[in-house]
Amino acid sequence: MKQDNSSLVEVVERRTFLKMLGSAGPAVAISACAPVAPERIIPFVVPPEDVIPGVATWYASVCGECPAGCGILVRTREGRAVKVEGNPEHPVNRGGLCIRGQASLQGLYNPDRIEGPRRRRVTNEAAGQSVLDAVPWDTARQDFVDRLQALRDAGRGDRVAVITPPLTGTLGTLVSLWTEALGGARWIRYEPFAYEAIREANERVFGRAEVPHYDFSRADLLVSFGADFLETFGSPVGYARDHAGQRRVRGGDRARFVQIEPRLSLTGASADVWHAVPPETEGLIAAAMVQTIVSEGRAQDVPEELVPRIGQLVAAASPAAVAETTGVSADVIRQLARDFSDPARGPGRTLAVGGGVGVSGATATATQSAIALLNYVAGNLDATVDFGAASTVDAASFADMQTLAGEMRAGAIELAVIYDVNPVFTMPGAADFQGALAQVPFVVNLSSLPDETTALADLLLPAHHALESWGDSNPRHGVHGLMQPTMQPVFDTRHVGDLLIEVGRALGGDMASNFPRGGFYRFLRDAWEARQPLPEPQPGAEDVSAAPDFEAYWADALRRGGTFVPVEPAAAAIAATIFDQDLLGSLTPAGRQRPFTLITYPSLHFFDGRSANRPWLQEIPEPMLKTTWGTGIEMTPDTAGAIGAEEGQMVSVESDHGQVDASVILNPHLAEGVVAIAIGQGHTNFGRYATDRGVNPIALLSPVPETDAGGVRWTGTGVALTPRELARPIPRLQRTFDQDGRDLAQSVSLAALAAGTVHPEEPHFSLYPDHDHPDHRWGMAIDLDSCNGCNACVAACYAENNTPVMGADSMRRGRTMAWLRIERFEEPAGGGDGPDNRFLPMLCQHCDHAPCESVCPVFATYHTEEGLNAQVYNRCVGTRYCSNNCPYKVRRFNWFTPEFAAPLHLQLNPDVTGRSAGVMEKCSFCVQRIQDGKETARDEDRPMRDGDVSPACAQSCPAQAIVFGDMNDPGSRVTQLGDDARAYHALGVFNTRPAVTYLKKVTQDG
Amino acid sequence: MSFTKISDDILRTLRAPGPLWYASVLLAAGAASTGLAAFLHQTQTGLGVAGYEHPIFWGIYITDFVFWVGIAHSGTLISAVLYLFRARWRTAVARAAEAMTVFAIATAGLFPIIHIGRPWLFYWLIPYPNERQLWVNFNSPLIWDVFAISTYLTVSAMFLYLGLMPDIAVVRDHVKDWRRPIYKLLAFGWLGTNRQWRHYLALYGFFAALATPLVVSVHSVVSWDFAMSILPGWHSTIFAPYFVAGAIFSGLAMVITLLVPMRRIFRLERYITVHHFENLSKLMLMTSLIVGYAYLTEFFIAWYSGSTFEQGTFLDRTFGQYRGYSWTMLTCNVLIPLLLFVKAIRTNLAMLFVISIFVNIGMWLERYVIIVTSLSHDFDPANWANVYQPTWVEAAITVGSFGMFFTLFLLFVKNFPAISITEMKETLASAPPESGPRAAAESG
Repeated sequence: MKQDNSSLVEVVERRTFLKMLGSAGPAVAISACAPVAPERIIPFVVPPEDVIPGVATWYASVCGECPAGCGILVRTREGRAVKVEGNPEHPVNRGGLCIRGQASLQGLYNPDRIEGPRRRRVTNEAAGQSVLDAVPWDTARQDFVDRLQALRDAGRGDRVAVITPPLTGTLGTLVSLWTEALGGARWIRYEPFAYEAIREANERVFGRAEVPHYDFSRADLLVSFGADFLETFGSPVGYARDHAGQRRVRGGDRARFVQIEPRLSLTGASADVWHAVPPETEGLIAAAMVQTIVSEGRAQDVPEELVPRIGQLVAAASPAAVAETTGVSADVIRQLARDFSDPARGPGRTLAVGGGVGVSGATATATQSAIALLNYVAGNLDATVDFGAASTVDAASFADMQTLAGEMRAGAIELAVIYDVNPVFTMPGAADFQGALAQVPFVVNLSSLPDETTALADLLLPAHHALESWGDSNPRHGVHGLMQPTMQPVFDTRHVGDLLIEVGRALGGDMASNFPRGGFYRFLRDAWEARQPLPEPQPGAEDVSAAPDFEAYWADALRRGGTFVPVEPAAAAIAATIFDQDLLGSLTPAGRQRPFTLITYPSLHFFDGRSANRPWLQEIPEPMLKTTWGTGIEMTPDTAGAIGAEEGQMVSVESDHGQVDASVILNPHLAEGVVAIAIGQGHTNFGRYATDRGVNPIALLSPVPETDAGGVRWTGTGVALTPRELARPIPRLQRTFDQDGRDLAQSVSLAALAAGTVHPEEPHFSLYPDHDHPDHRWGMAIDLDSCNGCNACVAACYAENNTPVMGADSMRRGRTMAWLRIERFEEPAGGGDGPDNRFLPMLCQHCDHAPCESVCPVFATYHTEEGLNAQVYNRCVGTRYCSNNCPYKVRRFNWFTPEFAAPLHLQLNPDVTGRSAGVMEKCSFCVQRIQDGKETARDEDRPMRDGDVSPACAQSCPAQAIVFGDMNDPGSRVTQLGDDARAYHALGVFNTRPAVTYLKKVTQDG
Repeated sequence: MSFTKISDDILRTLRAPGPLWYASVLLAAGAASTGLAAFLHQTQTGLGVAGYEHPIFWGIYITDFVFWVGIAHSGTLISAVLYLFRARWRTAVARAAEAMTVFAIATAGLFPIIHIGRPWLFYWLIPYPNERQLWVNFNSPLIWDVFAISTYLTVSAMFLYLGLMPDIAVVRDHVKDWRRPIYKLLAFGWLGTNRQWRHYLALYGFFAALATPLVVSVHSVVSWDFAMSILPGWHSTIFAPYFVAGAIFSGLAMVITLLVPMRRIFRLERYITVHHFENLSKLMLMTSLIVGYAYLTEFFIAWYSGSTFEQGTFLDRTFGQYRGYSWTMLTCNVLIPLLLFVKAIRTNLAMLFVISIFVNIGMWLERYVIIVTSLSHDFDPANWANVYQPTWVEAAITVGSFGMFFTLFLLFVKNFPAISITEMKETLASAPPESGPRAAAESG
């Protein structure tokens, strides 16, 4: 209807005016009342019956952050995942979870995630400019289908390459099916840390190209050659648990641990003895140990006739000669070898592990072979080195990726499908995967996070995050973890399996029949049903009817997080061919052309760089160097002095293959002439938290794979360093590692402990009356001997307690908001070349005589009758006197109003109050969990039991170093640990009477 | 010298101001406004805009607070204590010192509010029956502060006003313009009758007696903010006398800093004489020696205690990353004032002015060093902080506090007699006829 507007404006009659007034007035008033769109606090229109607002729902699933495949329990509230915890029933991790697993939530809610499908549109052909446009799913998928159809119809289906992580479960089956149906498309299972040398060495020595399961829980003596098994190697959470359990003092003795590596790793920091050796020489020591064992007739479980032949293999590696190269004295090597093969202990009670990345230079395969041989002669095969439960992760080698890149360059690949890998970042810069990918006419990327590889895609079809997906994982034999969606997808994404099935069906013809109608969920269930025979119903399962009923079995597997069956150790034996080859010929590293040797190592926080966009992982200080929001080049003060650089100064690092600028980080614990850079930072396109932060050392590495196994040579690159007139210090949250005689982190020698001369600290006399704790007095015990500084508890605390991330500038002023931090101290007298490292988790000590409480002018902090030092945010006016008076300095002040970039705010725990600018906060002992435990006990009409309450930090600890409980209960573990001979209180001299008891670290004598 | 001459000379300072006064007020008020703007910015954005660094949770603002409380001390000392001791030389300088006291304590009182995280809730520190049904923690030294500062502000303001009352009456009688009703109101019906004088002197003596303990108590309480904590470098029993001496020391320095230019600008040389300055500087020298002794005691106790924590703190203070601040402080507060032993220096007003500036700087640094170095190097080495780097916000607010102080002081001297007219006349009356106030003052 056409209307003459001018009449309205010019001639408004009285009646019209009144009408307008009558309708416009309320309209204005209403719109003023609701200026913002209504917010759905609970995201259900019709609430499901089994979801009660305020009550958490837990889902068992599998962590998707690394190939280890830890089981997780995901806590959801009102339809949103808010916390990830280790699944105690899952055999891989048994309850613990690492820092990256905790931060998987920030992958799910990452504000930089690709929100929906995108298609590249060329805007300026001449200038090569293009943009990624948002397109509807149907259009994007059709585009994908059309491309595939064209290729398949032309009979060029084999010119499709699919690059995914080494998918172990049903999704792997699907991809395999899919690539076959396309007519022989290539499927590359890419994993940057593929441990090629371990597989190759085991192939040569035992005829099994596998990464075995290492049983740390049975190793009385562990010798690790650069294996960062507490950080990233293999299955670090499970290893940490086994290792910590085995290291506990029993009967005055305990398992010993020796680490041999060029850079003191977090793992090495927990060792009794740490030997700094030049890079790539670890294998020489292993070979010399083998030689000693064989020549001294200490070989165990080795057929008599093989002994001299093994002796011949390692003839060149005499301890004396090796001592010359490695700097570890011949006596030390001999003694270590004797201990390693102690007949009194019997076979299979020791373990030698070679790192997947730590030992990866030009000598990698020879080194791993020597280590395999060392395990063999000590009788560890089928005992601590178990091929029965070997990893099923079957990853392509770096050489395979190089071959693929060559084919791409040659134009043999016409369509690439990439899912959840970032080879542009993780492959050596000189390998130029980026350039190779540019030669592929059409690149489809299914990853859900924008990174260096998705930036090159022509079509983005973002997949669900692991926490939004159905799936399964089979990280090692006998372990089938089941993954289930924990919430509705955050963004407009699709399950990658669903997508592949839809595309396959759309392609029509014989292909469609391969794929079921019900999508990936049906495919998964069918696969589980088809996996015959069904495992026996597990003990404790509710349905123990004789005939295995799949529905019951499926429900039980979902509840447990998978099915887990014990596996028999595989009968592995030494390969006959071993004596025909020059197994250890390339053990000695080649001479260096450049003045310094670079080693790169996987970062505890970022792995291969895939976790760098999680703000928690950027902000939480790296445990050894305490750096945040960046990486740099580590060098000893001597090296820095020699090149004329100082901490924070930028240095140009040049190798034969590339050049980067890196900020100097002083680290005294490096072998001579060695510089180190952590892998994982230096992204150029990985969202707001990771882009242009730190340095990417992969750019310096050689594109030539290691000769025997075809892996990346992560260590041993020669580099030259040139200081630049520019300083960009990386913020570090601890300035000194010297305790300055203050004895915060204490230790006790094993001998003193065994002699029984150590007694717990006597309580001091006080003039003040004690607090009355009628029902409970909550307390914590932290075993410094078990703590390996892995930061998992810190991330768990961030997740549980809505701790805000402040950013790099705030870190320069030390303004972290962490309620729990790991302090690291070094005492001079460590074993070997290293210091005596002590990790001290520091959190609010909930003192009975709390200095903070008496100085607060407004009673914002006070003592509860359950022994908690409570902080009332609403009452706090922010004088900050409490922090000044806290000897432990565990209180944090909100300098600004915390910000959580959407949708990261969806992760916030509804049980924990948000804090505003100007108030003080600190550890609450997870009071919300205490309350939850009390309510559960009340609902079940029983008194509280020990173990009912576990704060986030204690729950997450892979080493079980943290124990929480009621100190009023004489039977509780925390009470018993309080009477342990090693018990003490931090800064006990001030008689603050903390509720946190520390147990002294145990040091090995001599 | 006659009564009329005194009235004329002093009332001359109240005449229409010249461009220099306007320029000064503009400058000071501008600085104060900048400080206010910085505070508003800080309140809106969060305290993070200041340079605080974990675990240095108290910084420039508390330094400013203690500094201004210290400045506020000599006013009461000069007006009340010296009044009770009948030290008649105080007459010439007492009014300026009292005014300085009131404005300094008013400035100081703002800093705890600027400092706290949620300044809009500062009244939660005041105990009064309220609907929140919450009470304050009387164990906290911060609550003692609330009482000390508010009591001191009240008493010193009353004392200033009481002393001013007869003089306001004199002004009232001389002013003919629009200001007359205001002075009339402020004069409170003062006629100068014998009866009024008798009551007045009794009241004045009473207030002097009331204010005297405050000289000791207020800064003792402020020092307990630190001494009551357990922090090495703060937790010390000598803090109360040490802080009181320091406060008087800095207060006297500020009096000199203010009086030297004022005397020259208002041409009051005949009233505020070199003799007065010499007496002030002798008092300053004595307090400087006490402060120096306190420093030595702190170091001795740190050594003698055998405590790692104490020793670590004092070694760090002297030789650590803040050593520049510490040595500047020692130079300004201990070494430079030693020059006052020389009579030629303490009677040279230019030299005295320069020394007083050094003492002001040194005493500000003293508080900074005590607060910041102790916090930055406490029990747990894992917490030790980098060098505290104040931001422009803290600088603006600190300069703004000086701006506020000088604005108030400049407004005061232009509107009220900066030297007590009545006491001057009293001095003249009680002296031999031929001698003027100079002789009277010198004989005091």
